[in-house]
Amino acid sequence: MERRSFLKITGASAAAVVIAPSLITQRLYAEDGLSLYESYEKIHLKDADGNPLKASMLQPEENYIFNFPHVATPCILVDLGRPANTNVKLKADDGTEYLFKGGVGKSGSIVAYSAICPHQLTHPTPDDSFFQYLERKGKTLALPDAKEAGIFVCSSHLSAFDPVNGGKAIAGPATEGLTQIVLEIDENDELWAVGALGPNRFHDYMDAFKPEFKKYYENKRKAKRLVKEEAKVVMLKQFTKEIIQY
Amino acid sequence: MSMERRDLFKLAGVAAAAAVLPSVAVTTAGAAEMANKASGKTVLVVGGGFGGLTIAKELKKKDKSIDVTVIEKKDIFMACPFSNTYLGGLEGVSLETLTHDFYAPATKHGYNFVQAEVTAIDRKAKTVTTTNGNFTYDILVLSPGIAYDYKGQFPEWSDEKIAHVAHACPAALMPGSEHLALKRQLVDMDDGDVVIVPPAQGKYRCPPAPYERTSMVANYLKEEGIKGKVIVLDTRGGKFSKGAAFQESWKDLYDGIIDYKGFTKVIDVDPAKNEITYLEFTDAASLLEGDPEEATKHTIKYQVCNLIPNNICSPVIKMAGLETNGAGYALMDGYTLRSKTDKDVYVIGDAVSHGIPPSGHTAIWTAKRAAGQIQAQLAGKSFDPKAGLPVPVGNVCYSMVSGNPEEAIMVTHEFVAHENGMLVGNGNVPKPKDGNGKFRSKGTGKATREWFAGVKRELFM
Repeated sequence: MERRSFLKITGASAAAVVIAPSLITQRLYAEDGLSLYESYEKIHLKDADGNPLKASMLQPEENYIFNFPHVATPCILVDLGRPANTNVKLKADDGTEYLFKGGVGKSGSIVAYSAICPHQLTHPTPDDSFFQYLERKGKTLALPDAKEAGIFVCSSHLSAFDPVNGGKAIAGPATEGLTQIVLEIDENDELWAVGALGPNRFHDYMDAFKPEFKKYYENKRKAKRLVKEEAKVVMLKQFTKEIIQY
Repeated sequence: MSMERRDLFKLAGVAAAAAVLPSVAVTTAGAAEMANKASGKTVLVVGGGFGGLTIAKELKKKDKSIDVTVIEKKDIFMACPFSNTYLGGLEGVSLETLTHDFYAPATKHGYNFVQAEVTAIDRKAKTVTTTNGNFTYDILVLSPGIAYDYKGQFPEWSDEKIAHVAHACPAALMPGSEHLALKRQLVDMDDGDVVIVPPAQGKYRCPPAPYERTSMVANYLKEEGIKGKVIVLDTRGGKFSKGAAFQESWKDLYDGIIDYKGFTKVIDVDPAKNEITYLEFTDAASLLEGDPEEATKHTIKYQVCNLIPNNICSPVIKMAGLETNGAGYALMDGYTLRSKTDKDVYVIGDAVSHGIPPSGHTAIWTAKRAAGQIQAQLAGKSFDPKAGLPVPVGNVCYSMVSGNPEEAIMVTHEFVAHENGMLVGNGNVPKPKDGNGKFRSKGTGKATREWFAGVKRELFM
């Protein structure tokens, strides 16, 4: 609300948008004295047709992908179909603590995480995806004895992460959790991505995938640009040719 | 003593620069008695493979004030995992895929890299002598890998004959010239047979490797239209790593190309005549008995012979005077990655005597675990050797079985604190969801590539 009136006044110039991160969220996280929060320009999540994405339109336990905060850094948005826990304490490898506040939406069930596996940076591409949320009734080799899934699994090296608890690493070689993408929901049920919380590997990722960036984004410079104003959200199964999940 | 050393560094310009600048540890003969300093947190890592490079990075990530130096005898890193796809000629796989410089990760993470061969280890004085200077340590990490046991397997062979066979019939489990030589032989071959001999007894590096290689070479013959067979002279009667999965793929894809003989014993190789002689037994029991009267003796010609001898542990472990098992692998302090003999010496990768598979993935796992234990020890804290156990997937390993289309099979291992007092891996060979009831699938083929790409990012980024 605040931001939209702000946009009206400034005429939504690109320059104005760049310096307008979400003030509310930024303040909230700053007051907590919590580290590892990075705010970015507030990005409006849009559907494939360019209409604002409404939280109530998300299909439960479906993987939706969008790029944030960089043009080439994929994130996955999921309505878990059950509330995420709130105020979960997590720890980065270097011992820094950070806090998962919970999901958004009516029942706090909507979460988003960077889809770059913190272990070795595996991530969805238009050709294939080894990294995604696995519905609760799914089976995974990462946790062969688990009664239910409902977790993110990277099927390259079989790391698993718990989205209910802030993306905590729960199995496999990954030691750090997923980077949380901080969401806001407005009074029209529309979703915004405003920041990233927790350790992130965006920098390593940019270094690692130069050939891939050439294929999908022309070059690293373009891949590295920050997303502006809005991000298109599509179902992962439409974004990628093949979902590989073990 | 440490003061003295520091004074020496002040005087010796070259060595002092080496101490300040990570990754450029250059020692000049006579410049200093020790090429590194004893800081109380000095960790020396012998071996720059999967285990050594991982632990160097992990220690620096955990605590920048730990001094870490990696000593590696090779000048170029080359991976053994994924190298069979290079031998098999898969699209886009080149030497560059498998190799890397050592400098980039050392610079990035702030550890020293020294190219040198270790010649002596004095655990009492806590020093390591190398061909490029002497080093001191507070904690020594040994990640030296394996050695070949031609002598144990072929006691009648002279040293000259062993050298001749090693060059003419490269094993290609230790990457470098062996892989290049084997690749050259495969590329140069006309119609004819390739013979692959999996290691005969005991533990060896990368248990599925000989069978993945069999698949990849068969794929190469098929794709290149070379008339020939891949003859596997094995001792395991089909009961090998991912055995059912490999044999299913061989039957489906390479019928008439792969000739698997499960109960054989190689008795001689004549590299001058390109001949290999072996005994063929009828079953596991007669092979075990080994009575030549019960076997049929064969001498066959080969175009290419990939003789993979029995493995033993790298001699570096014995050089350090650590207690070992019969094959030279270091005895461990319970479930830890510390040697049984010396609390300041850790052992990781293939050199451990734990019952976990000697794979690249496992080496990385042991390195990360050991890094945590070393960090605790340096801080004077105790650690729980069973922390985090059991690990549902301590090891995941893919083997490419087909090149066109690319398809692979996989195995996972749960790591547990076994009642025998060691870490033990329990294997599981699943049928992937996208395999239509088969062990192999295209998805696992892609996963094989992504597994390796990820591991390279782990080691070098």
